[in-house]
Amino acid sequence: MKRSCISWIMFGALVVLITVLAVIPFVWTILLSFKDNSQIVNDPMGLPASFDFFNYRKALDVLDIGRMYANTIMLAAASTAAGVLITFMSSYAIARLSFRIKSLPDKLFLFLIIGLAVPVYILLFPIYRINVKLHILGTFIGLILPYIAINISFNTLLFVGFLREFPLELEEAATIDGCNTAQTMFRIVAPVMKPTFVTVVLFNAIYIFNEFPFASTFLSDSRKYTLSLMTSMFRGQYSMDYGAIIAASIMMIIPELIFYAIFQRRIISGMTAGAVKE
Amino acid sequence: MNQLRCPSRTKIILLAPTMIMYIVFLVMPLFIAVRYSFTDFSGIGKAVFSGVDNYMKLAEDRLFLVSLKNTMIIMGLSGVGLLVGSFIVALVLNEDFPGNTLSKAMIFAPYVIAPIIVGLIWGFILNPEYGLINSVLRKLGLESLCIEWIGGTKWTPVAVSMVFFWQLLGFHATIFLAGIKTIPGDLYEAALIDGCSRSRSVFLITIPLLKETIIMNVILIITGVFKIYELVVQLTGGGPNHLSDTLVSYMYYVVFTSSRYGYGMAIAVFILVISMCVSFFYLRISRNRGKEAAS
Repeated sequence: MKRSCISWIMFGALVVLITVLAVIPFVWTILLSFKDNSQIVNDPMGLPASFDFFNYRKALDVLDIGRMYANTIMLAAASTAAGVLITFMSSYAIARLSFRIKSLPDKLFLFLIIGLAVPVYILLFPIYRINVKLHILGTFIGLILPYIAINISFNTLLFVGFLREFPLELEEAATIDGCNTAQTMFRIVAPVMKPTFVTVVLFNAIYIFNEFPFASTFLSDSRKYTLSLMTSMFRGQYSMDYGAIIAASIMMIIPELIFYAIFQRRIISGMTAGAVKE
Repeated sequence: MNQLRCPSRTKIILLAPTMIMYIVFLVMPLFIAVRYSFTDFSGIGKAVFSGVDNYMKLAEDRLFLVSLKNTMIIMGLSGVGLLVGSFIVALVLNEDFPGNTLSKAMIFAPYVIAPIIVGLIWGFILNPEYGLINSVLRKLGLESLCIEWIGGTKWTPVAVSMVFFWQLLGFHATIFLAGIKTIPGDLYEAALIDGCSRSRSVFLITIPLLKETIIMNVILIITGVFKIYELVVQLTGGGPNHLSDTLVSYMYYVVFTSSRYGYGMAIAVFILVISMCVSFFYLRISRNRGKEAAS
């Protein structure tokens, strides 16, 4: 559609304005990470004296960021792998297998997606009690199991949604050729569903990577801490060192943003998948 | 239609892990929450049944009512802001211009970051003394517009709404954009031929056809507001004196800081019931969509 020069300029200004508003907080934070405490408080608008990484060095002294990264990635990988595997299995059964009670698959599906309506904060105390009973409070298992459970609803919605739209012929042919259910699932169906798997994996992994309430409530041993707990670590033991906290946060989000830049399209479609029809 | 036959043993193996995990760590906790909400459990001794006492207390608890009011303020402000803002952003991103993908990625980026870090970043923007906003205002000589965004008794819900808006703008815009893309282009061409201006066709074509997407966004905003916790933790910790708590952060305080488990679970159940009611519509819409797509 043709437009006048003026309307193009106004449009361009709008685009720049929106994008800048989205990005400014990041830029501001990066600038702060190069200032010392007194400059942050007394001269917030001034540019950093030099781009020296002293805040980053301080943060690395206080925090064992390597270990926190390892913990977080391990939790995200284990919960995501196990969660995606078991929900793929159950979704396959719900979408494909015949049951004596004809309405059973539909009822199971509804039952499993009700979890979408549950704010996770409600589960904190009850799961705390369950973990105490199971003697897994404060362990990684005590986090992995709830993480798997929390994502079941979303994964089921996506897996079953895909399978219901996907024609049966391929699997019928596989069955005639003598494939058993496991072979059909993992050798025939799973490869076709690769994009759905990528979406589900990214959604689960990012959720767990960023997760705060469960980790902060259930973990007490600081050697088990995840990245999202680092800001609270500064708060407790040390007097507020703003520069170091900010530097630590930057060290958490920069790799995340790089990861996001690479998988941007998949991540956006994954994180909106529950609400958007592909 | 489900057709593939296989032995019941296989079906049990496929379904059992998910069902066990889901029941033990999601369904059972809900029942535990409901059960405790009818007791006066405080961590010591047995939980004694106390009927609906906890629920009666809610209506008289000033701090609970404040947190409810704050949650409603955030819902109203960020709800209106996000609906209008993300719709405009979606209209902009729907146009073809150089850098479209890049600006879409940048606008969505805040949604990918951990809320606990978002809260921290914004603490340095909203801080009344050395935060970015007030510093800019002072530089511009608009000292009178400087507001005690956080830490005071009045403005924190507004500040939380701003942060929430910033974090979710790209998310809701993406949902709107997906909706806009489903509207056939020839509708707009026909409107243009009939002499309808571009801005009028937004109101006459785009908005009416996006009814379902709008409802979806409203529901997601409402349920999203009931998940605001980290932002409050970072910005004010609920202070001063719990005046800036939201429902969730107040519940967390009651349960884990002051150990009033029974009462805390009554607040939890309150949040759950509201969330369930709103989400019921969400499930209905997404299920209808699934059926439409399948047929």
